[in-house]
Amino acid sequence: MTIEVSGGRRGLTDPVIAATILAAIPDQPLETQRKMNYFVTPRGRRLNEYEVLCCYTQPTPDWIPGGLDWGDWTQKFHGGRPSWSNESTELHSTDWHKHRDPAFRWHALYVKDKAEEWRYTDRFLKAYSADGHVRSIDPVWRDEVLGDYLGAFGFSEYGLFNSHSSVVRDCLGDTLRMSSAMIGLDKVDNAQMIQAERTFLAKLVPGFDESTDVPKNEWTKGSIYKGARETVEEIWQGTYDWNEILFSGHMVYDPLFGQFVRREFFLRLSAYYGDNLTPFFINQMQLYHSQTKGITTDMFHTCLADDPAFGDYNKRLLRAWSDKWLPRTVNALKDFMGIFAKIPEIKGVTSKDAIEAALERVFDDWKRDYADPIGYKVDTAALIKTVLTGLK
Amino acid sequence: MAISTATKAATDALAVNRAPVSVGAQEVHRWLQSFTWDFDKNRTKYSTKYKMANDTKEQFKLIAKEYARMESVKDERQFGSLQDVLTRVDAANRVHPKWNESMKVISNFLEVGEYNAIAATGMLWDSATAPEQKNGYLGQVMDEIRHTNQCGYINYYFAKQGQDAAGHNDARRTRAIGPLWKGMKRVFSDGFISGDAVECSINLQLVGEACFTNPLIVAVTEWASANGDEMTPTVFLSIETDELRHMANGYQTVVSIANDEAASKYLNTDLNNAFWTQQKYFTPVLGMMFEYGSHFKVEPWVKTWNRWVYEDWGGIWIGRLGKYGVESPASLRDAKKDAYWAHHDLFMIAYALWPTGFFRLTLPTAEEAEWYEANYPGWYDMYGKVYEEWRARGCEDPDSGFLPLQWFIENNHPIYIDRVSQVPFCPSYSKGASTLRVLEFNGKKHSFSDQWGERMWLTEPERYECQNIFEQYEGRELSEVIAEGHGLRSDGKTLISQPHTNKDGRLWTIDDIKKIGCVFSDPLKAL
Ligand SMILES: [Fe+2]
Ligand SMILES: [Fe+2]
Repeated sequence: MTIEVSGGRRGLTDPVIAATILAAIPDQPLETQRKMNYFVTPRGRRLNEYEVLCCYTQPTPDWIPGGLDWGDWTQKFHGGRPSWSNESTELHSTDWHKHRDPAFRWHALYVKDKAEEWRYTDRFLKAYSADGHVRSIDPVWRDEVLGDYLGAFGFSEYGLFNSHSSVVRDCLGDTLRMSSAMIGLDKVDNAQMIQAERTFLAKLVPGFDESTDVPKNEWTKGSIYKGARETVEEIWQGTYDWNEILFSGHMVYDPLFGQFVRREFFLRLSAYYGDNLTPFFINQMQLYHSQTKGITTDMFHTCLADDPAFGDYNKRLLRAWSDKWLPRTVNALKDFMGIFAKIPEIKGVTSKDAIEAALERVFDDWKRDYADPIGYKVDTAALIKTVLTGLK
Repeated sequence: MAISTATKAATDALAVNRAPVSVGAQEVHRWLQSFTWDFDKNRTKYSTKYKMANDTKEQFKLIAKEYARMESVKDERQFGSLQDVLTRVDAANRVHPKWNESMKVISNFLEVGEYNAIAATGMLWDSATAPEQKNGYLGQVMDEIRHTNQCGYINYYFAKQGQDAAGHNDARRTRAIGPLWKGMKRVFSDGFISGDAVECSINLQLVGEACFTNPLIVAVTEWASANGDEMTPTVFLSIETDELRHMANGYQTVVSIANDEAASKYLNTDLNNAFWTQQKYFTPVLGMMFEYGSHFKVEPWVKTWNRWVYEDWGGIWIGRLGKYGVESPASLRDAKKDAYWAHHDLFMIAYALWPTGFFRLTLPTAEEAEWYEANYPGWYDMYGKVYEEWRARGCEDPDSGFLPLQWFIENNHPIYIDRVSQVPFCPSYSKGASTLRVLEFNGKKHSFSDQWGERMWLTEPERYECQNIFEQYEGRELSEVIAEGHGLRSDGKTLISQPHTNKDGRLWTIDDIKKIGCVFSDPLKAL
């Protein structure tokens, strides 16, 4: 037969071609090591699919710790700046390929989860609307708090989302890059869910304003989110070190400010104002928050703070970064206290004692899960006191 | 509307209509453009000489969750096929051995492009100002993670199920040994991520994706299936479904800068450089992988090239951008010449350096030689004859002590490496257009094989300082270099690379190489 195959004949099914192929195949496989990436150190007992599909996709040379390649970059930025380089971050590592998403999610697993969340969101909204739940929401909570202030919080999530763009460009490892893109996408998802909730309310409540004008005005010009906005702007655009961006956003600002706003304000209070809709969305955000926390604590604690060679140095730098970002975050929370003057008071729920208890929960969590592991000394009572001075 | 009347209105509305209501992706997306705000420092971290317009829209209006839904549907189909029917029919063991080897390279090298495209589109997401444009790039960031994982999955699958796992199982480590890797990095890694952000977009989207994706991802599926491989079409065609959005991103990049004065000054030069950069590697490498890496042929590479690159891209695609001042690159004509002979030249060199590969190469058989001569008249006199000589000297036999590299040395045909593209060339024995140019800078010699690369280097030598494999390995013995780069199979002595895929042929070991005593030298030093 001729070796040129036309008309889309396939080697698997065409008997003549298949016979030629089978005759050429060795009787025994030539290699017994069938595990791809067998040379990679697994995080758990055995190499998993995530580690097979993701590890060492980054082609860095060995002078960037962990790299398997050699030599220089084949093309650089104008002026000669290298494609990727150690000086893109102040932190040091013996192996930039060490990070693992604790959930071992490669792309297919990540989108599968989110696709399920989307389908369930659709079913939930249909049931919620058909059930007439919307009638029970307190009108001030609905129109002012959800319409304006939840809407404005969407900008915080959107800004944090954008802070991941340069991280995705600059970071030095493959698992780091994929994790950063995923936790970034979760943030824009949060911003979009907030808009989805507002659009949904507009469909059920005639006159409810779904436009982003008022929330944006609140975010850019109002006093409640002033400190938050300034911090987010600085994380997104004022910071160049990709580790510092991730650290300031996910290890300081979001576990304090984000957690208070989402969990202790919208999630905790919504039920008191007859709102069973907001918790549905915020709970998804909280799921993302906990997944992100797993990722970023692996990056900063498991990998960098415990680095065999640079652990002490890294912890010192992380403490210095905490010193830089904590006061801004506290200030953001202080400004946010202004919101309590905007809602109808419920004794023991929105009164000062309840707010203080909520702040304690958030700061205690932060101290235990974020500050202690890097040896950062923090007087949470004093910080809470500062925040509470923002109450009007 | 006052608050209390709104509540009453909501209750009234429900009394009339209790049909279930939800929110669609488009209803959310239409607000996206307003998600950003102005502030002092709001500018990109990656400088570009172009200005992207603030109101740029995207064509595919996805939100995060809808993106995930769409992709996960495709994943189910694709991984379902691979894990179910293709595994049951033992499809990985029904692939022609030559093609099994080609997929070691094709899938892993494409993975590098996909991986670097994550970073590249991260940079574009940063550079764009319009939220919709950012969103388009973001979707691509996620897609490129998908494609990275998918390419890895091909090697993973072939390693687990196929006839020769070596190379499939460790390509991410062994790929760095051989002569094709650095050029690969130029086009698929650094070319996408290091430079003016728009220049990188042109490399990635306007050229890499809009031009070479078709031959790379679509044509490859035809070659694969002709050679018994149904895994690759299953995965690559699923990758291709995302590429439309990426080409649209490239298109939108041009639209977003079209009104900027810088575009009229620089765009066509950047496009010409990007086209030459990409084609300089892909034209020979793809042609070589298809024609020399298969047993069954689909059509001569030059035909595929003319259809996809010259007519489809150079004509139609670039034509559509004509209204934005984009012209067909001046280097397209030189590239057309390369499409005829360059892959034959490159295979000769790649085969001569076979021990540095992470795959097995095969010299053309008699029936293949006939096919080459019929499609590329003059092939036999230039290449076929030499392959007969190599074969007669025992180049496939470990006992022969003969490496084809010796033939180049004996006949005084030095192999150089082009500094800019990192593609090897042999000026004294080639039918392609390459000519040797040597320039000295800062006490170091640099060789070039064409005027376009040389011009890029002359303008900005500091961007192309990368040492090549001959400089890196100079003075070192071949078996040492291979062992250090982990080019051995799991028995610790047989080479991953081999100069044949004959099932009855003997396999070379590291000792067979060592006894030849081949030591690398830098040809530039001899000048
Ligand atoms: Fe891709
Ligand atoms: Fe792409």
